Amino acid sequence: MEEERDQTGTSWRNLPQSDEYPKPRLEDGAVLNGEAKNKTTKHEPVKCNLNLLQMLKAAESRSPPQCQGRYRAEESGYGTRELVTEALKTGTQIQFPEQKPNFNKHFANTSRHSPADSISQLSLDSYSSVCSDSKDKSSPRDKHQKTSKGFSDFCIKNMKQAEFGRREIETAQQEMPALMVLRKSACGEKPLAGAKVVGCTHITAPTAVLIETLSVLGAQCRWAACNIFSTQNAVAAALAERGTSVFAWRGESEEDFWWCIDRCVGAETWQPNMILDDGGDLTHWIYKKHPGLFKKIVGIVEESVTGIYRLYQLSKAGKLCVPAMNVNDSVTKQKFENLYCCKESILEGLKRTTDIMFGGKQVVVCGFGEVGKGCCAALKALGAVVYVTEVDPICAVQACMDGFRVIKLSEVVGQADMVITCTGNKNVVEREHLDRMKSGCIVCNMGHCSTEIDLLSLRTAELRWEHVRPKVDHVIWPDGKRIILLAEGRLLNLSCSTVPLFILSITPTTQALALIELYRAPEGRYKQDVYLLPKKTDEYVASLHLQTFDAHLTELTDEQAQYLGISKHGPFKPNNYRY
Amino acid sequence: MSDPSMEVKLEVKQASKEVKESENVAEKYSAMTVSKNSEMNMGELSSAFSAVPTHKPVKKQIQFVEDKQEFSRFPTKAGRRSLSRSISQSSTDSYGSAASYTDSSDDESSPRDKTQVNSKGSSDFCVKNIKQAEFGRREIEIAEQDMSALISLRKRAQSEKPLAGAKIVGCTHITAQTAVLIETLVALGAECRWTACNIYSTQNEVAAALSETGVAVFAWKGESEDDFWWCIDRCVNNEGWQPNMILDDGGDLTHWMYKKYPNVFKKIRGIVEESVTGVHRLYQLSKAGKLCVPAMNVNDSVTKQKFDNLYCCRESILDGLKRTTDVMFGGKQIVVCGYGEVGKGCCAALKALGAVVSITEIDPICALQACMDGFRVVKLNEVIRQVDVIITCTGNKNVVTRDQLDRMKNGSIVCNMGHSNTEIDVASLRTPELTWERVRSQVDHIIWPDGKRVILLAEGRLLNLSCSTVPTFVLSITATTQALALIELYNAPEGRYKQDVYLLPKKMDEYVASLHLTTFDAHLTELSDDQAKYLGLNKNGPFKPNYYRY
Repeated sequence: MEEERDQTGTSWRNLPQSDEYPKPRLEDGAVLNGEAKNKTTKHEPVKCNLNLLQMLKAAESRSPPQCQGRYRAEESGYGTRELVTEALKTGTQIQFPEQKPNFNKHFANTSRHSPADSISQLSLDSYSSVCSDSKDKSSPRDKHQKTSKGFSDFCIKNMKQAEFGRREIETAQQEMPALMVLRKSACGEKPLAGAKVVGCTHITAPTAVLIETLSVLGAQCRWAACNIFSTQNAVAAALAERGTSVFAWRGESEEDFWWCIDRCVGAETWQPNMILDDGGDLTHWIYKKHPGLFKKIVGIVEESVTGIYRLYQLSKAGKLCVPAMNVNDSVTKQKFENLYCCKESILEGLKRTTDIMFGGKQVVVCGFGEVGKGCCAALKALGAVVYVTEVDPICAVQACMDGFRVIKLSEVVGQADMVITCTGNKNVVEREHLDRMKSGCIVCNMGHCSTEIDLLSLRTAELRWEHVRPKVDHVIWPDGKRIILLAEGRLLNLSCSTVPLFILSITPTTQALALIELYRAPEGRYKQDVYLLPKKTDEYVASLHLQTFDAHLTELTDEQAQYLGISKHGPFKPNNYRY
Repeated sequence: MSDPSMEVKLEVKQASKEVKESENVAEKYSAMTVSKNSEMNMGELSSAFSAVPTHKPVKKQIQFVEDKQEFSRFPTKAGRRSLSRSISQSSTDSYGSAASYTDSSDDESSPRDKTQVNSKGSSDFCVKNIKQAEFGRREIEIAEQDMSALISLRKRAQSEKPLAGAKIVGCTHITAQTAVLIETLVALGAECRWTACNIYSTQNEVAAALSETGVAVFAWKGESEDDFWWCIDRCVNNEGWQPNMILDDGGDLTHWMYKKYPNVFKKIRGIVEESVTGVHRLYQLSKAGKLCVPAMNVNDSVTKQKFDNLYCCRESILDGLKRTTDVMFGGKQIVVCGYGEVGKGCCAALKALGAVVSITEIDPICALQACMDGFRVVKLNEVIRQVDVIITCTGNKNVVTRDQLDRMKNGSIVCNMGHSNTEIDVASLRTPELTWERVRSQVDHIIWPDGKRVILLAEGRLLNLSCSTVPTFVLSITATTQALALIELYNAPEGRYKQDVYLLPKKMDEYVASLHLTTFDAHLTELSDDQAKYLGLNKNGPFKPNYYRY
């Protein structure tokens, strides 16, 4: 955390106040890290392994046709667990134990930093929905494929799907006006001419739009997947067809995963000079296997909480030898992925699963962070009576001033119609609370992981679980009381609703601009450290998205700009501005 | 400031502006008095109006030039840093609003010439009239009811006396709310000497009540500039008593002590500064390497910021507009210029009443927030012909220009919620072809040659200070924050604070919030040990990292 303060980019360094606010309490960070370390070792890895698996499964099971089998398995009895254990036996899933502890470790460590960040990392997972797997069981590694132009430096599932993929990409383009504007506005000067970008992200239609934008801006790209399940094969094919070297298919084994990354990086004739990473695996691999490459690398752009945590660790250890850009904590991205995204999806998630009416219902929202604020606003607008539980007095005062009653869960749990958790904490709703709920009460989770509701305590002999529809379980008490549990306590908006494409457009735009910023920065602006996206770039991301709303930004006159002491073109706010 | 030749120059430069500005300020304060005491009878009312100008000897004028110049200078420089902070500075000004019914004493002699003694025989104070103490006590008691946070702080910390041994010299507005703060500090073990940071804002009876209980107060309403510095000097310069803490609002006290008594700083543990202006001065000192004690910037605490801007404006915009114009908001087309904290507050309140709200904004991030909240983002020129109400809250200048005012439709209302009175180009309206008609206090009709009328509120000054009240609850937040900052600085272990300007620790900020939760009957959830460990947090906070945006 301290680093972030110190290294908030240079382009606004000339502003007088950025370093005028000393942080009074540095002890904080130290304590925090100490505690965090303890935690890592003690955390029950098994349980959390399950969480990620479940989440991935959730993401997967949304792809309609080919997943029917699994779906059914899930429906008969609480399938996920069985599936998971099964899956762990087979070879393909060796990847998991490896990747998982990492994930889980970082999550735990960073959770302090990001109760509300949770979604940012996951939102992309949900994206793997479209496009079909062929039944072809042979590994793509063994096949030799060629595009219509004779290009063969790629490795994907099936070249024939390229046309479908193209359609997917075109659909996505329509919802991502910002990147398209960027293409148009910047293609004259080709700001990335000469850049050789090696990327490792989810390979989905929005990413494809990003990759092709980078190409239009003059960059050469080679890409691998950062998740073995999230690749849309058709999109990968479409990218390869247009001449991007993609190494990814859905359902890679762990070995495949690293093989893809290696092929992506280690092409003999090609040396990357930029890294775009999501999760830090690519960076990690280059550090281990090709440290020599870093001589040529201009910078790293990292998107996920996990990857950023890894970068900060590297930086702390003094091992980071190139500048890195943290795009996760940009204002625009944070606001959209938490506040606005949840505001939109909470209602949809509940409606889809339960067809409930909200007017006059008593809803308890646990946590009033960004996610909680979004949920409360949406529910209030439909006339629900909203209660808030909160641990942080500042957020609690905000809730009061917004007209919500702040209570303890145990005080109202007996009369609540709905309990929604979004704290980032664990065991917020306990068995004791569940026991006291009235019949028909809906329990769901909008926070991160599935730890917020103490599900394990519901897996006891006296309670009967009834799976009524996908993502909806009735838990039946001996006296006939039913509690309606949604998505088995997993993230409701990923499992039971969609993430608007508009929100997914924010992240790639931020990534593209971060790449440009790092690549075009004059020598010496960025040292070997982790930087936040400059405020000006952040503002530019926002301004690109304003066109969608037909919003007309006012411009400062010279006189006004002088009066305020800011540049006419931004940045408009000091760094500590809270928005 | 103390350089006379400088002063003269400034005076000349400002000459044209001077008259108008001083009028403004004087009127502002009298207006506040009026708005607060609406039960006051008409005779008194008119006397309140005329009182200020007639009582104003030349000396006072000079203070104004000085004062004014500074006020306009600092916000300009600090403007960049404090677009949304603008109001916090001014909200304290409105302290002066509370009752001044005892002001009618016709006693023309300066309090400096009188010797007064309180019932305990002490005469170490200087107020207008000690006999008003009883009225003042009542004022203070009323304020106490709305400031439960400070009262509960008294109770919670009384046994341990966290400020035992603290000698606090303070320079703030002296009002009932400040009195509650001062008496809380005394209850916590501190010795206090107090003076006013503004020559007009003192409530004489409150000052008397404080003196009666033994706090050395040097302040009365309507001091001259000379009186002002005399009071500060008396406050600091007392034999056998050396302050070890400073509580300042505006930085005048700190400045005076730096100039006159630099040695006192050896004993000083810390400075607590509340206003934007004062904080800006401290940062300048710190940059110049001249700050020799730790200072605490309480202006930028989360709780204070949110209350001074977002919540305060959300409450007062409707009140201000209704009181002055009796307008109905449903379906009206309203343009709010600026979507910072103040703008967000105004928009939320107006939207709730069914107004059609559009936004103008320069910052794309804020503009995007406005879009997502369902407001149209426009340029003022595009909609100027249709709007019914324009509200400025940008912190900028000339946001509404003469050109735009020319194109507004008949009967539209123009007002300002941002800081100072620069946002609307009022000067451009002072031309011969336009007729100004004052229809009631704070409401002017400006009549174009073709008969079109534009309604200007408070002559472009801050609407919520001029035409509405600041809730005591908001002032309670400020006072509590100040008290906790003093406790924090005084009790901090050696070496925690260096010679620098600090923000209030997040934990203290959270504590201020938690003290106010009782008002809402809100019940905070506590983390279990298990949960605290999972989150890597202390059970008692701080709960959020420093950069959390709330």
